[in-house]
Amino acid sequence: MSTSNTAREAFRDIGTAIAAVWWGFFDWLALVSWKSLVLIWVLVLILGGVLHRPLTALILIVVSAIIKIIAGGKRRADLTASEATRRAEMEQLERTAVEARMQALQAQVEPHFLFNTLASIDQLIQTDPPRASKMQQSLIRYLRSAMPQMREGSRPTLGQQVNLCTAFLEIMAVRMEDRLRPVVNVPEGLKSAVFPSMMLQTLVENAIKHGLEPKTDGGRLEIGAAIVDGQLTVHVQDTGVGFLPRGEGGVGLANIRDRLKALYRDRAELIIGVPATGGTCATIKVPYEIAPVST
Amino acid sequence: MPASPTAVVVDDERLMREQLVARLKDAWPELQIIGEAGNGSEAIAMVQSLEPDVVFLDISMPGMDGIQAARAIARAAHIVFVTAHDEHAIAAFEQGAVDYVLKPAEPERLAVTCERLRSRLAQAPDPMDGLLARLSDRLGNGGVAPRDYLRWVQASVGANLRMIPTGDILFFRAEDKYTRVQTPGFEALIRKPIKELIDELDPKEFWQIHRATVVRVDAIEQVSRNFRGQQTVHVKGRPEKLEVSRSFNHLFKQM
Repeated sequence: MSTSNTAREAFRDIGTAIAAVWWGFFDWLALVSWKSLVLIWVLVLILGGVLHRPLTALILIVVSAIIKIIAGGKRRADLTASEATRRAEMEQLERTAVEARMQALQAQVEPHFLFNTLASIDQLIQTDPPRASKMQQSLIRYLRSAMPQMREGSRPTLGQQVNLCTAFLEIMAVRMEDRLRPVVNVPEGLKSAVFPSMMLQTLVENAIKHGLEPKTDGGRLEIGAAIVDGQLTVHVQDTGVGFLPRGEGGVGLANIRDRLKALYRDRAELIIGVPATGGTCATIKVPYEIAPVST
Repeated sequence: MPASPTAVVVDDERLMREQLVARLKDAWPELQIIGEAGNGSEAIAMVQSLEPDVVFLDISMPGMDGIQAARAIARAAHIVFVTAHDEHAIAAFEQGAVDYVLKPAEPERLAVTCERLRSRLAQAPDPMDGLLARLSDRLGNGGVAPRDYLRWVQASVGANLRMIPTGDILFFRAEDKYTRVQTPGFEALIRKPIKELIDELDPKEFWQIHRATVVRVDAIEQVSRNFRGQQTVHVKGRPEKLEVSRSFNHLFKQM
């Protein structure tokens, strides 16, 4: 029983090998140019003459000519099919980008954040009016820099994203007091670089929500940017409780990864690093590109 | 029951505690605020040591939130939830026995809350089991997940530590003292042996195919077998041929 099984398997392997050789030949014929094929035919004819087998040579030539015509058709069909697949993939990517933009719009201003901030301002108006005014200005700046991103077409810059996050951090620093110590370290020269919207904001929110808020005495949050190997590298580092490998969250991060893929294919990435000093360091790398000056 | 009722205010933001304390003073001058807490566990400790009549409890707080804290103290004190915005919570309160206050607390609304509390202080606090369970469900934090598998793997890439999403990993392979983590772009190392790793990975996502190899199912490009029946797994975009040991052959049984 097992011997016959082994024999059958051996035959199947041989069959597979023959088929592989045949399809290899077929593909080669499909790809080879007519010019080189004609050259090969001449060589075959000469060889046939030398070996006194002109008929065999002629049959070989005719058969290969027929296969070449058929194979050419198959090749064209393959090309059309792969072109269609490529187009479908592009459409899929565009859909992902549009969906991501919709989600970004919805997530833009979280009601909980807005109402908590307004409640804090309400309290400060009574106890510390100058600080109330400052906090309200931060809120206005936050809302204003969040708004243009809702318009389609304009390419967001790193500067816009950093302004949005700075205003957000100012508000959160008033609310969390010394439990949040923000540091923004972005060179002026990089602020005109193109950077996708709502990604930095997500990283900052994550760092506060999952890193610093669970820690009783809070910690430091740093936004930094640099050009590394021709890529714009933006990081958000916190000294919080650290990243949990089983956390059920990660929707925001998955969203960033999907959007980076849709926008840049393989030329961008999101890296979650674990600094030796503790906490979490999230880094986004995108191709460095200056935004066209808008008028 | 002491002559003047006592209360504790719990919120992670000092400004919000100040606000509520100030407004309670206007709405109910006899109410003594005997303590303030900044998170759920502090609140529980405070309720146990100070035994207040009323606890004003913020719902969303870091670490232990208001719902979790309420479970521990609902029998010891009357609870009033405080929240900035949560339509689910409010919907639940409307059917429940306890009260809630929206931030920033409006004096008129707070007066109503105080009136309710005054009339209830004589009774024992409602344990609110049903309401808390319902709230917990709505806020999505009460249910314990059946099993938490790894979603991220902490691995060293060169000199740095990184969190790698499991969806990026092609395969794990035991190598000397380490386990190699292979992704499409790079390889990383972890110390955890395959034997321990396999228990923490989602069996729907990863299959062990060999004593030394675990492969992500979606990354498998093809499985070939030679005439001796030896199976080999090929992973998308990688040259490695991963051997399937006999005891795992059943994974790739032919349809």
